[in-house]
Amino acid sequence: MGIRELGRKLAYWFQRDRFAQELREEMRLHVDLRARKLASHGLPGEAAHFAARRQFGNAASYQDASSVLWGWTAWERLLQDLRQGVRMLRKSPGFAAIAIFTLALGLGINTAVFSLVNGVMLRSLPYPDPDRLVSIYERVTKTAPDEFSSSGAKIGGAVDAGRTTVSVANLGDYRRSRAFAGLAAYDSDPMNLTGTGDPERLSGEAVDYSYFSVLGVAPELGRAFLPEDQRPGAARVVIVSHNFWQRRLGGDTGVLARALMLDGQPYQVIGVLPRNFRSPFQLTAPDDMAFFVAPPYPVEMLTRRGDHDVNVVARLNAGFTSRTAQAELDVISARLQEQYPNTNEDIRAVAVPLSDDLVRNVRTSLLALLGASGLIVLITCVNVANLLLVRAVARRHESSVRLALGASRFRMVRQFLAESLLLAAAGCAAGLLLGRLLMEILLRTAPANIPRIQDLAMDWRVFAAATAVATLTGLIFGVAPAWQASQAKPVESLKTTARTAGGNWQARWRAVLTVAEVALSLVLIVGAGLLLKSFVTLMGVDLGFQPDRVLAMNVNLPDAHYRMASTRLQFFQQLESRVRTLPGVQSAAYANRMPLRGGWGGSIYVDTAPDQDSDVDLQAVSPGYFETLGIPLMRGRLLTDQDHTGQPRVAVVNQAFVRQYLSGVDPVGHQIRHDVKAPWVTVVGVVNDIRRGGKDKEISAQVYFPAEQTELYPVKLADFAFRTAGNPRQLVKAVQGQIWALDKDQPITNVRTMDEIITVRAADRRFQTLLLLIFAGVAVGLAVVGIFAVLSYAVNQRMSELGIRVALGAAPFRILRLVLRQAGLLIAAGVAFGLLGAYALTQYLSSLLFQVQPHDWRTYAAAVALLSLVSVVAASIPARRGAKVDPIVALRYE
Amino acid sequence: MHGFEIAESIQQVSEEVLRVEEGSLYPALQRMLIKGWITGEWGKTEEKRRARYYRLTAEGRRHLAEELARYDRVAKAIARILQPA
Repeated sequence: MGIRELGRKLAYWFQRDRFAQELREEMRLHVDLRARKLASHGLPGEAAHFAARRQFGNAASYQDASSVLWGWTAWERLLQDLRQGVRMLRKSPGFAAIAIFTLALGLGINTAVFSLVNGVMLRSLPYPDPDRLVSIYERVTKTAPDEFSSSGAKIGGAVDAGRTTVSVANLGDYRRSRAFAGLAAYDSDPMNLTGTGDPERLSGEAVDYSYFSVLGVAPELGRAFLPEDQRPGAARVVIVSHNFWQRRLGGDTGVLARALMLDGQPYQVIGVLPRNFRSPFQLTAPDDMAFFVAPPYPVEMLTRRGDHDVNVVARLNAGFTSRTAQAELDVISARLQEQYPNTNEDIRAVAVPLSDDLVRNVRTSLLALLGASGLIVLITCVNVANLLLVRAVARRHESSVRLALGASRFRMVRQFLAESLLLAAAGCAAGLLLGRLLMEILLRTAPANIPRIQDLAMDWRVFAAATAVATLTGLIFGVAPAWQASQAKPVESLKTTARTAGGNWQARWRAVLTVAEVALSLVLIVGAGLLLKSFVTLMGVDLGFQPDRVLAMNVNLPDAHYRMASTRLQFFQQLESRVRTLPGVQSAAYANRMPLRGGWGGSIYVDTAPDQDSDVDLQAVSPGYFETLGIPLMRGRLLTDQDHTGQPRVAVVNQAFVRQYLSGVDPVGHQIRHDVKAPWVTVVGVVNDIRRGGKDKEISAQVYFPAEQTELYPVKLADFAFRTAGNPRQLVKAVQGQIWALDKDQPITNVRTMDEIITVRAADRRFQTLLLLIFAGVAVGLAVVGIFAVLSYAVNQRMSELGIRVALGAAPFRILRLVLRQAGLLIAAGVAFGLLGAYALTQYLSSLLFQVQPHDWRTYAAAVALLSLVSVVAASIPARRGAKVDPIVALRYE
Repeated sequence: MHGFEIAESIQQVSEEVLRVEEGSLYPALQRMLIKGWITGEWGKTEEKRRARYYRLTAEGRRHLAEELARYDRVAKAIARILQPA
């Protein structure tokens, strides 16, 4: 087809009415002229005109044939179908509204959840060549590892047992592998900023000089670290974040000449990072990493292979994958095991893609949500298909008339599909809007530890997915009614009335859809039920102490000013006595860490087995610790003010400690020590077990030392807590004042009541449980609507039959039973399939559950009971209507 | 010529041998319009009625020549086959 021909065709398309008009005029002229000519040959006027028309042929069909020639017919028919679809939908606004609303609900939920999954799991990391970045950690292959590194930082999550951070000494060996273009250690290293306005505790990282080059990021101002910056004795330098530069340094471009006082030491600013830079830590937490320093490693870190202190990110060389890099690391790990059996016997280095590593804690949860939202979409499809099917029957008359008038079956299918797709398109548009809204709500309610949730957005992938799902749903729910309509047999159905038509095939289809709906809903209810039970179980767990009305804060005294443990102790002693006198404060305490806020673990030797090294939780606490936290004494005595330096060394242990190491004997009076050369310490009391790590953590053996008698603190004294008579939040300002009275440069961080911590800890579970509950609720709602619609329809169809039954003397309750039996069969079948589905699918939830088995029969039973009850109630409304039928009215209904 | 004149002239020239439904002329004219072989312009008949007058375009003339040549070849071939040897 030439360009000019296309031009002519386009011209035709835009003026097709004029073209048709002209052709009609032309043909009319022809017939008129012929008639006149025939008349001039002697035929009478009427006869002449008639003859002329006969000679001309069927003008309308020639007109059609002409317009087909222009090649726009298919397109025009499509438009016709759509226009017809719009007309049909506008004629039944109720049906259209329900269908579109249902679709919007399903697609909206799906869109919101997919945005979340897309933003967190599918979007590539904000670094160049992100596929080549891997995270490296070490795994303790035999014994369960201590959950805490010597720096007090919590390592890894519960997901990956045995995971630990990397030993700097081992890192040197990994670095020699040819798999890596670069390896950089990084670790959280918060410091106190002073000398620039208010003192502030800043989040920051201590990194290798190569950190930024491994990530592929260059500062927007100044320079990155150089190897010489990390050499011992080098001048202290710092690179700051864009945000910190703007916030605290006024965006000053002359910042490179300035120095910052961090923990009392001057650091020269050498660079400012780009605005959009996020460190790997920031991808999983919303904090601002204000600064990066590259301090030299202390000699002991470089030599002690047993200390696992740093996180490691590495960039793969071309030609290596995380798998081949793993093979390299396996070889190195094996060699280190031989070389250093004392420290490396159970250690194996692991490399995983950085993108996978970041989402490892949320992956299951997100996939479960995605699966659940998929089920919702399916239920939506089923529901709308059901509605359309009912409508298709009501329109059987129309279909028959159209078929009788010569519409092809293909054209009928197309017409019905066009309507379905129109609904899908409208549903999709509404769903995107709703999805947008739901996403905002998700963002507000989602726990902050979901990676990169803070910069979530709906991108093209979300739109593409929504459109694809909508089209697919349109086809799925449109096919059955369309096929149904095309099967109409004009003669038969024109003879019957619209209401009685339908037939077995129809009924079977609707039954299948209803069963599917019930089954899908049951799967969701079981899933939500399992999560809900987990959540309730978790919330019911006794922490072993009284968290209410206790507020804790972190007071990190910088090494530069508080070099000696005794000066720290003195600070906290003064603070404690000052705070105690504040009105409203019942008691106050300090410790290296309060419960739920991290901790410290280490070796202990008990006098009953003096050579046996056991790993326990350790805690250095003030005498008021137990009173403040409400930890009851079970035996012996608590620590007192008299247990200070120079007095006999004492300790308090918990019941788990007694069970594990001193069972069957009176623990009071036994002796323990943390080192074979250290002096013995006498156990003077036993306190209640507490879950230091949180409600979902195990109870471990614990030893409490008086802070005054403990010289050795791998985890420095830093946490301060107080119990109040009223709301502890109201006393924060007063306590802050006391701290600043002691040291005006001392920042205070992590100010939280214990209840707040518990709430935040449970946020993940609360979030996923809430979402799944909402999904299940929506599913049940849709199922109820579905069952109600199908049964109402069935009752309507059987109205005359029911009327005859009543007329012949059937009691109303028999009619009720008749209809309910039909519903019961559908529900029972749905429940059966649903149970199978739930049994197969809930195992994927097992890592999200807490002390609940994925096949917990009680939850299954409760779900079945709930769904059955709701369904029967939904079914009983049309059933009662059927039972109340007046035979006269019913028989006249025809 | 307008449509009726074309139909008349075909009938006259063919001496009434080719008698088809006259309306079939119009789709044929549309096809030629699409191909660009003819153009149609509106004018007035002697009785002052609007009519579309068709005219061959240069491209139409070329195409006609091709078709005539092809027809000529075919006709000659048929004639030769039918001619008793």
